Amino acid sequence: MNQEMRDRVPRPKSPIDTGGDGNEESGPRRPKVERPNTDDLMRRMRKVDPDQARRYRQRTGQ
Amino acid sequence: MTERRVCGLETEYGIQVDGVDDLDVVTESMELIRCYSREDFVARWDYGLENPRLDMRGFEVDELLQDKDETEHLQHDRLRKIPLKDLKSDLILNNGARLYNDHTHPEFSTAECLSLTDLVAQDRAGERIVLQCARRRTEERGRGTVRLYKNNTDFEGHSYGCHENFLLPRAIPFADVVSALLPFLVTRQIYAGAGKVGVEVDHRHDQNVFQLAQRSDFFEVIASVDTMTRRPLVNTRDEPHADPARYRRLHIIIGDANMCEWATALKVGALRLVLELLEAGNIPPMELADPIGAVKFISRDVHRRWQVELADRTSTTALDVQAAYLARARAQVSGRDEETDWVLDEWQVALQSLATDPMELVGRCDWVTKKWLLDSFADAEGLDWGRPEDRAWLQSQDLEYHNVDPQEGLYLMLEGMQDTSVVRLSDEMAVTAALTTPPRGTRAWFRGHVLEKFGAQVRSLNWDSIEFDIDGAIRTVDLRSCVDVDTAAIFNTRLDQAATVQDLLAALTSLATEKETP
Repeated sequence: MNQEMRDRVPRPKSPIDTGGDGNEESGPRRPKVERPNTDDLMRRMRKVDPDQARRYRQRTGQ
Repeated sequence: MTERRVCGLETEYGIQVDGVDDLDVVTESMELIRCYSREDFVARWDYGLENPRLDMRGFEVDELLQDKDETEHLQHDRLRKIPLKDLKSDLILNNGARLYNDHTHPEFSTAECLSLTDLVAQDRAGERIVLQCARRRTEERGRGTVRLYKNNTDFEGHSYGCHENFLLPRAIPFADVVSALLPFLVTRQIYAGAGKVGVEVDHRHDQNVFQLAQRSDFFEVIASVDTMTRRPLVNTRDEPHADPARYRRLHIIIGDANMCEWATALKVGALRLVLELLEAGNIPPMELADPIGAVKFISRDVHRRWQVELADRTSTTALDVQAAYLARARAQVSGRDEETDWVLDEWQVALQSLATDPMELVGRCDWVTKKWLLDSFADAEGLDWGRPEDRAWLQSQDLEYHNVDPQEGLYLMLEGMQDTSVVRLSDEMAVTAALTTPPRGTRAWFRGHVLEKFGAQVRSLNWDSIEFDIDGAIRTVDLRSCVDVDTAAIFNTRLDQAATVQDLLAALTSLATEKETP
């Protein structure tokens, strides 16, 4: 096994609601995190066509 | 101690071509597979031992079920007049894998693997191989970029699989397999799910839900032989690809395709340990009240409490179900070897992090990583999950997370960045080697090296056998016994020592595994 597998590294703070605030509304919550320090990735995400998933039509597989 | 048995992954990829809205995915997938080799396609896959209609419960169904859309498509497909072998374009690669058109999706089936590190390297090699095919196909088309996605849905109710395969003793009654696995498989998605924006099939009004898993919407029955509609939590297809008197091939179809190597390894590694518990009669005694309802509820539970009801009407959580399996696995196999301890430790880490701070699993667990990226992007752009047009953009980001091109795919871009928390189990050297080299100690090694050494004389082959044409005489090597480590070692040694096919066949004759066909 790669030693890297055992390493613990700092993580961003959680944007994920763990259900502890008593707010019962459904749906994902407003994120509570810092933006990832990954500017290239954010630039790439801005270039993703908003309709990409709507045009992505597949046939049923297994 | 339980013998370590082979396992593997089969991944169907989604396919899209820029600017082509009415893409014929059947022929496009066929043409893409044929781009693997610059040489003309020669059909060598032997379908003789395949029968997906055979059920482990001791019967054979007349036909497999199709959904309504696919029934209509198939009527059109029959007009193509392309022979099935050409349409499927099956290839066996020198790394022991199978690459083919599974009718409407390019599929890469890894070679049989013994270790999780081999499995991850082979799976990653599959990504690189289909990407290479896509790039060549893009050049060949001259118009429109061919893109491949390692995901499991088109967000409109059409799902395709990433199946796991495990060799299992036939002696274990299949009813025991089902009861042992149900609570585990239903709850495994809390760390193995790939994440999905939206709901398909039912409850479609809940589109602003971010689910844990891509596949959970699509499961409707407990056990059946079908895989394309009315999908079962436990698939009963009986194709052992080994000695049927001794083995079953457990064909798990509920899992998502993972981008995170850690998730791939833990998904498979934890299930392997559960199968060892099953063999030892050490499965935690629990039964879910409603497994089908639970798999969907857990995936869609935005509060991440993941409560499930047991058959005795008490309540528990997915975390506690997994913890019960983990506790028994730790007691049974802890300290056995490094890989086993890695699975036990990371399984524990996963459950602890999910209970306290799931964000610790960014770079390991796909649904957490994807949610983190999407929330960060939504925050930066001021997007609202409740607004359909914003959600459509987030769904497109979801899709692009799975793009296998490292210059475009969100996960692969994240993985390629310095100072990110992505955990890798493979490295570039291992993945590069896996492009052409089968896993050591397996019959895949034999298969791959036969192709490398004596490929010109291979007439046909499949997982179970290789047929040679020696000056017009057909000779078959039966590989069904070659799934155990000791037999594979004997076969591989004799192959290494053989200078010719004749040498090889003579050396294997004494093993009484060769049969001669007229």
